[in-house]
Amino acid sequence: MRNFILRRLLQTIPMLFLASLIIFMLFAKTPGDFIDGNITLTAQRAAELKALYGLDQPLISRYLHWLGNLLQGDLGFSLQYQIPVSQLLNQYIWNSFLLATIAMVLYWGIALAVGIVSAMKPYSLFDHVVSVVIFAAMSFPTFFLCLLLIKWFAVDLHWLPVGGMTNIGSDATGWAWVMQVAAHLVLPVIALVMLQAGSLTRYFRASMLDVVRMDFIRTARAKGLRERTVIFKHALRNALLPIITLLGFELPGLFSGALITEKVFNWPGAGHIHIDSLAARDYPVLMGFTLFLAVLTILGNLIADVLYAWADPRIRVRS
Amino acid sequence: MACTLIDEGCLLATVPNSFKIALLASAVMFSSFGFADDVLKEGITPATDTSQVPASAKLRTDTVIAGISEPQGIFNPYFFVNGWDENVTNVIFARLVDWDSQGKLVPGLAESWTVSPDGKTYTIKLRPNLKFSDGSPLTAEDVAFTLTVLYDPKYDGDTDITLAHIAGGDDYKQGKADSVSGLKVVDPLTLQVTTTQPGATTLQKIGGPVLSKAYYGKGYQRGNLDYLRTLHGKPLGNGPYVYDKYIPGQEIRFHANANYYRGVPPTPRFIYRVTNPSTNFQLFQTGDTDYDAFTSRPDDIEQLKLLGFANINLYGSSDYSKIEFNLKRPALQDAKVRQALIYGLDRQKLIDVVYQGYGTVAIEPISPISWAYNTDGVNPYKFDPAQAKKLLDEAGWKVGGDGIRVKDGKRLELTLLVSKKVLNDALIPIAKEDYQKIGVLLKPQVVDFNALMSQRKAGNYDLASFSTSTLNDPHDGVWDFYSTEAAVQGYHNAEVDKLINEGNATLDIEKRKPIYHELYKVLANDPPVILLGNRKILSASSARVTGFKPDIYNGLTGSLPDVKIVK
Repeated sequence: MRNFILRRLLQTIPMLFLASLIIFMLFAKTPGDFIDGNITLTAQRAAELKALYGLDQPLISRYLHWLGNLLQGDLGFSLQYQIPVSQLLNQYIWNSFLLATIAMVLYWGIALAVGIVSAMKPYSLFDHVVSVVIFAAMSFPTFFLCLLLIKWFAVDLHWLPVGGMTNIGSDATGWAWVMQVAAHLVLPVIALVMLQAGSLTRYFRASMLDVVRMDFIRTARAKGLRERTVIFKHALRNALLPIITLLGFELPGLFSGALITEKVFNWPGAGHIHIDSLAARDYPVLMGFTLFLAVLTILGNLIADVLYAWADPRIRVRS
Repeated sequence: MACTLIDEGCLLATVPNSFKIALLASAVMFSSFGFADDVLKEGITPATDTSQVPASAKLRTDTVIAGISEPQGIFNPYFFVNGWDENVTNVIFARLVDWDSQGKLVPGLAESWTVSPDGKTYTIKLRPNLKFSDGSPLTAEDVAFTLTVLYDPKYDGDTDITLAHIAGGDDYKQGKADSVSGLKVVDPLTLQVTTTQPGATTLQKIGGPVLSKAYYGKGYQRGNLDYLRTLHGKPLGNGPYVYDKYIPGQEIRFHANANYYRGVPPTPRFIYRVTNPSTNFQLFQTGDTDYDAFTSRPDDIEQLKLLGFANINLYGSSDYSKIEFNLKRPALQDAKVRQALIYGLDRQKLIDVVYQGYGTVAIEPISPISWAYNTDGVNPYKFDPAQAKKLLDEAGWKVGGDGIRVKDGKRLELTLLVSKKVLNDALIPIAKEDYQKIGVLLKPQVVDFNALMSQRKAGNYDLASFSTSTLNDPHDGVWDFYSTEAAVQGYHNAEVDKLINEGNATLDIEKRKPIYHELYKVLANDPPVILLGNRKILSASSARVTGFKPDIYNGLTGSLPDVKIVK
């Protein structure tokens, strides 16, 4: 097992280099740069600024410069925020992480529960009702759903805040702060759960049903094991295997933010800085953030592989 | 790149496309009839029912909250990159010279100024006893320091001080001198600025916010501005409010400046709250904000009226939207073709669809609210397809077999670069159809704004649609038609160059008026662009506060010294 993890870790190094090269070239080759978008500059001033930012340098030297800094742990300096990229990301990604984690725990929990119950009693009334509800929730456009939640719960009923993360002007700390954040979390979390739970539930349900139809389950049932034991001990573990891979992919999503949801609810998350940086061609932020996500993706895959190996001994033996 | 408080592209940037298209579709359906009667008047429409003020807002007895879209945390008036940060610095820093609501320059920190008869030397007198918010004195030294920093070779902010042509500035920049010779501190209250050429926009360039030399200049050496970055988040100014705290993505807090030169503002605390166009109305409705900007659409206005407690404020913007011609393309070198393209586009329909009564067709590269606006004798290019066809015939473009005009074996096909924006969403179908009718095949390409600007610079286009940023002086609306600035577009008109120079070199507004009037006539006959529209800006404030009277030159921050909470 240790060798397996080590080997997989070593494999990530060339992948990261490749990712950094692709990311850099992709953004550097996108037409327009940080200066181009400013229409108030005279041609002369624009040229001066490009020289100051090093945007007049050849691509390869820009890449090497960036890579050199990167290897020293320096993500660079944001052009439009004028602070180090790491500091900028630090300001926003944890908020995204908080929101996404809570939402994820909830919709994974819901999906798991619904998947199991549906598998125990497929095509029952409960199963049908769940299917209808899931499809209804999934079919809402994000933007519309968010606005609807705001209208009902914030504007009409005054139960919850319209948006933001804390009350404006509040200096609350400790428990009071936690309560404020919790209140501001409710609506975006509901929106995210409604939008995400659907597809995952479908996936879980299908996975469970597949497993339940397998021979070893029939054998287990034939042995006279209780249904509960069959489902939880035998079926669930096998149904989880494909889902572990899915979990690995969720990791970067926890930090990259649910763009529309965060935006509508004014949640100070990372999604919008990514979009803004693209619009402004703020290369250091774009590259830093995308690379961060690339690392998380690779890491997520690694974790998935390890978990998979742990859950399914066949993989360990083969590798 | 900078979003000003009123940039429509920014305001709607977050709304998904499907939603925008739906909006637009309904706009197209209901446009061009009906709205003329109940269009809101410019100026302030007072609240009808002040008892409707939300209870939660009434609880805030000492704080006014205004909405802001995307501040980035660079709270230094010479270093911010986007217009939202400018809205923040305007609260913290007062200017030497301010604008009135027509865009004329009026005294700010400077009590008065005189200009030498040759228009090159400015003597600026500061008000006595000016102080920064920490109580330290503000003197001519601070102003000289501020202008010197702008000439630093490492200065990378948006202000292009070289356009003020201060004597010795370039020498300082290139390291040939240790100070800017054109800046002379006569006494603590008097600064003399010598320039090498007269310029109408010089005073607004040198009359900006003032940085404290004691605070920002500690350890300043030419070529080393890195230390300044560490102060972007800790501004020290002299404006109506003092900066307290910035919570990224959420809010910026201020308290009243006891040392403000116009007296302590009556409201003790002011907060900018980060809002966005999708929910800023709801935040205003629930009382979370006391002031915000909205899109000037009949629906939004109707909703605001229904609230009862909203003082609605409608005012003209100072930018204009346009489609630029690439004169390097042979077909567009002919002024007749360009004129035909203006006659052949139903701009009135476009503006009606997009602004629904809250915008006008642009006739001059300046907004109707400016003192320089005068359309007498300027060709308004009323929609006239017959005239467009006639001009194209005269230019030698004959209608070919498929209805597209041909000349010397070439078809009249034009690419149009646009960025994603509500105006352009309507422009594409309208222009395509209108041009098809006069025998021009239009091929729109939708790209993002930076890509558009980059392709434009590379000359990869026939037509490019974009808007100017907010314009303070008529010179700002025409400088890029000057032949050296328009080199890429290939626009060159000696008469235009001469008039632009003359307009910028004349300081007396009354003498400038006829120059710009003449310039607009010349530009209309040899058009470098298709002028599209001027729009209006909508903002609203809660009836629980008085004193907001924003205009495009001063924004909401110009009102801050007078904003009061009604007891």
